[in-house]
Amino acid sequence: MNLFGRAKASRKALIAAVALTTVASMSIILSNGPALAASSKKIGGSVSIWAEWTSTEQQDFKAVLQPFEDSTGIAVHYTGKGSNMDTALDAAVAGGSPPAVALVPDPGTLDTLAAKHAIKPLASILGTETKNYGTAWSNLATYKKKLYGVWFKAANKNTVYYNPAVFKAAGISSTPTSWSQLLTDETTIANGGTYAPVSLCTDIGWPVADLFQNLFVKLNGATAYDALAAHKTKWSSSAVTNTFAEMAQLTGTSGANLLGGMKGALADGSWPNCTTSVFPASGSPTAAMVFEADFLTSNVPANYTPGNGSSCTLSATAAPCYDTFNFPAPSGSAYAADIQGSGDVAMLLTSTRQSKALIKYLASPSAAAIWANLGGFVSPNKKVALSSYPDSVSKADAKALTSAKAFVFSLDDLQVGWEPALWADMLNVLQNPTTSNVTTVEALMDTQATAALGH
Amino acid sequence: MERPSARGADVVTSVVAEGLKVAAPRAPRQHGWWRRNWVSLAFIAPGIIWLLAIVVYPTIATIRFSLYNESATKFVGLHNFASVFSTDTILTAFKNNVVWVLIFPFFVTFIGLMVAVLTERIRWATAFKAIIVMPIVFSTTASALVWRTIFDLDPHVGVVNAIEQTVSDWFSTPGAYPLNSAIGQTAVSLASFNATGATGGTLLSKSAVQPGGTVMMGLTRISSTTLQTLGAKTPVAPQTIAGGIAGLVWNDFSPSQTSNTTTIVSDEHGLPNLRLSLVNSTGSSVASTVTNSSGDFSFSHVAPGSYHVEIQASNFQTSFVGTFWLGSQSITPTSGLNQTAQSLLSVPLIDLAMIISYIWIWAGFAMVLIGAGLAALNREVLEAAEIDGATEWQTLRRVTIPMLAPVLTVVFVTMVINVLKVFDIILNMAPGSSQGPATTLALSIYNDGFTGGIHSGVASAIAVILFLLVVPVMYWNLRKIKGGSP
Repeated sequence: MNLFGRAKASRKALIAAVALTTVASMSIILSNGPALAASSKKIGGSVSIWAEWTSTEQQDFKAVLQPFEDSTGIAVHYTGKGSNMDTALDAAVAGGSPPAVALVPDPGTLDTLAAKHAIKPLASILGTETKNYGTAWSNLATYKKKLYGVWFKAANKNTVYYNPAVFKAAGISSTPTSWSQLLTDETTIANGGTYAPVSLCTDIGWPVADLFQNLFVKLNGATAYDALAAHKTKWSSSAVTNTFAEMAQLTGTSGANLLGGMKGALADGSWPNCTTSVFPASGSPTAAMVFEADFLTSNVPANYTPGNGSSCTLSATAAPCYDTFNFPAPSGSAYAADIQGSGDVAMLLTSTRQSKALIKYLASPSAAAIWANLGGFVSPNKKVALSSYPDSVSKADAKALTSAKAFVFSLDDLQVGWEPALWADMLNVLQNPTTSNVTTVEALMDTQATAALGH
Repeated sequence: MERPSARGADVVTSVVAEGLKVAAPRAPRQHGWWRRNWVSLAFIAPGIIWLLAIVVYPTIATIRFSLYNESATKFVGLHNFASVFSTDTILTAFKNNVVWVLIFPFFVTFIGLMVAVLTERIRWATAFKAIIVMPIVFSTTASALVWRTIFDLDPHVGVVNAIEQTVSDWFSTPGAYPLNSAIGQTAVSLASFNATGATGGTLLSKSAVQPGGTVMMGLTRISSTTLQTLGAKTPVAPQTIAGGIAGLVWNDFSPSQTSNTTTIVSDEHGLPNLRLSLVNSTGSSVASTVTNSSGDFSFSHVAPGSYHVEIQASNFQTSFVGTFWLGSQSITPTSGLNQTAQSLLSVPLIDLAMIISYIWIWAGFAMVLIGAGLAALNREVLEAAEIDGATEWQTLRRVTIPMLAPVLTVVFVTMVINVLKVFDIILNMAPGSSQGPATTLALSIYNDGFTGGIHSGVASAIAVILFLLVVPVMYWNLRKIKGGSP
C-alpha cells in the first residue's frame, strides 16, 4: 500500500479536500499574478504543476517552490489534487489540457503515460542531475530504457514505530535487530502484562497487505515480488505460504501479541486509531509497537519528540517520544536489503523552457533539502545531505531509502479489479492462519486474480 | 364499507404530482402548437437542459461504460456483468442489499406508524415529534459515528456493551486477576515458576511441601494496573513456621531482569488477594487462605503429610469482553460453506447494528408522513368504530391501518428505494475490517470505481443493475403518488 493507503483511510475527507483545493488553486493563480514581473536575466513566464499534496504538505511544497520562483521569475501554479491525483491527471490527459509537470504516487501511472507518449524523456534535460539517484530509483522511473521521472518524495515501509518508554518499562533496553529478537521482545512485553506488544493496523486490510508485502520482499526478493504482482507467480506458491507463516509468528497464537487480541485488532485497527494506542496524546499507551510507513508520523501527537529513545520514560512529567527501528528480516531472508515503500515521481507532460527548468530544480538536492528541513519528508535523492533532516528518525529513513538495494511499491495497488478482495483475503488469513485455511484462501486469491487480471 | 380514501397521501404529495405534470407535458400534434406554447417552453428549457446534462447524459454514459473495459477504451460486451455475478465481493453486496430491503422498510414503517398513532394522544406531542424527527436533520455521517460509538467493543466506550457487561458481571463476578479472553489467555499461560495447570483452570504448585516447609510460586502477565489497584508490595521470601506451611505467590516479572524467572528481584511484586487451597496427596482440599499484600500466605497446624498449594480458578474468572456488534461474524450458521455460499448466505452482525441505527435516523420521516395521513383521516369512521364498541387495538388494526394503507405503501416503497442506495452509513459506521463484509451495491460502486484511480467497467455495470432495481419501484411509487393504480 502506498500513499493510496492514506487516501483510502481519509476518503471521508475526499470531497472536502477536492472542494478546498479547487478554491485554493484559484487563489494561487490570482495571488501569483504580480510575480510575473521578470528581470532581464530571469526566464519569466509561468508553469503549472499538480501533485497530491494538500494542507500542510501543500504549504511545505510551496516553500520548496518559492526559491525557484524567486530566482527564475517563473510563476509556478501549484494545484494539490489530494487522493484524486491519478484520476484527475487521467482526465486532464484525455481532455488534452494536462499540467506541464505532475507528481504521481505510483510508478504504474508513469508507465501508462509513457506508453501513451504523454510524458517526455528526461535524460537530456536533467543532465548531471540524473546521477542524484541510486539505480533502484532510476529503474523505477524508467520505461523502455528511457528515464521519464524524478523521484521527489518517498516513504519507507520497512520501519517499526515503537514507544521507547514502553520498551523501557517492559525491560527492553535495545531495539531488536533480528527476527528472533523481535519475537523474544514480543514475549517479554507480553510477560510484563501491562502492554500489548503490537497494535496492529488492520483497517480494510491494506495495512495487513503492507505487512505481508514487507515480509514477502525480504524473504523472496524484488524479482519474485514483481512476478507475484503480475500474477506470474501463483498465490498458492510456497513463497506466499511461507510469508503467511512468518506473519502468524508476529501476531502470535489467536492474536496473543496483538492489542485486544484478534477481535480487538479487527475492531480498533482502523487507520489511524491503531497508532494512538502506542502514541496517545494523553494518558498511558496500551501497546508498544505499530508497523507502518513514515506517513504514520503525521498521526503521532505533536507533544512527542522523535528519536533519542533512551531518555524517554513513562513518568507523568517526562515528555513522551517516539522512535523507529528497521523491520528485522525474517530468519533466513535472502533479500534483507530489499525494501517496500511508496513515493511521488515528477513527470514532464509539456516541454517548455519553464517546465524543463522546474523539473531540473525538483531533481536537485537543494529543492529536497528545503522540505527535509521542514520535517515529514524523506527524499530518495542521495545528494541530499543527512544533516538536512531535523531528527534521527527521518535521518535513518533517508539513509535506508537512498541505500536500498531494490525498492518495491505496494503490489496491491496493481491488482486492478480485485484489490478490495485481496485486502479481505489478507484479513481472512490474519484471523485464521491454519494450514487448511491458508490453502483455501490462496486458491481463492488465484481465482480472483485470474478473473480480474485475465491470466 | 367504503373504500378507504387516499386523501392522506394526496395532501402530502400533491405538490410533487403537480411538478410531474409540468415536467412531462403531453405533446399534442395540433397546428400552431409551437406558437401557443413557446413561452412555456422557454421557461422550462433551462430545467430541461439541466436535467439532460446531469441526469440523462450521465445515465447513458454509465450504460456505455458498463459495456467497455475498465479504462473505457475497448468494447467488452456483457463481460462486466458476468464478472459482477461471479465476484464474491459483489455477491456479498447483493446479499447485504437484500438483507436491508427485507428488514429495514418494514420496521421503519411499523415504528413510524406506532409513534404517529401514539403521539396523537399525548400532551406535548409536537415537542415529542420534533425530537423523533431530529435525526433526519443530522448528517448521516454524524449519526453513523455516534452509533459506531454506541456499539463500540470496549465497554468503557460503547453503551451497549457496558449494559451487557453490567448484566454479565451479576452472573459471573470477575476474579482479582481476570484472564484476558480477548487474546485467549488461560491460567496455564500465567504460570512462570513452580506452577502447573490443573483441572478446572486452577494452578498447582509443582513441588510437594511438608508441614514446616515453604513454597514459592511465580506468575507472569499480570498488568501493573491490577497490581496498583490491589496495592501489591515488594515480595518477601517466606519464613518457615513450625507445624505449618508458609509461602509466597509473586509476579515473576522484573523490567530490570526480564530473563530472571526463578528468584525474587527487588522491582517485582507480591500478588495480593489470591484465594489458595491446600491440597493433600489424595487431591482433596484441606484448608484455604488468601494472600496478603506482599503475596505471602500461611497454613497453620497442618497434619503431617505431603501437600500441594492450589491457586483457585475463581481468581482468574474472566471479565466480560464485549460483543463485537460491528464485526463481520455471521448470525446465520454459514462458516462451513464455501466462499461463494458464504457471500450469499451469511448475515453479518454489523448489518443488524447498522439497520437499527438507520431506523433511528428515518423513523421520524416515516412518522411525519404517516402523521399527516392520520390527521387527514375521516374522523366519522373512527368515531363510528368507537360507538360500535371496538377496542383501541381493533380500531387500529381494522380501521386506521386500512384507511392509511396508501400512505403506508408510499412510506414503505420510498424506504425501499432509500435503502437500495444505502451508502454513507456503512462507509462511516463499519470499522475497516467489516467494510468488506458489510458492503452494499452503492458502496461497491464507489470502492470499485473511484478508489485507486478510475475503473469504470465493473462499477458502471453495478450502477446499471442498481438502476434497473430502483426504476420499477420508483415507477410504481410515482404511479401511486399520482393516484393511479399500479
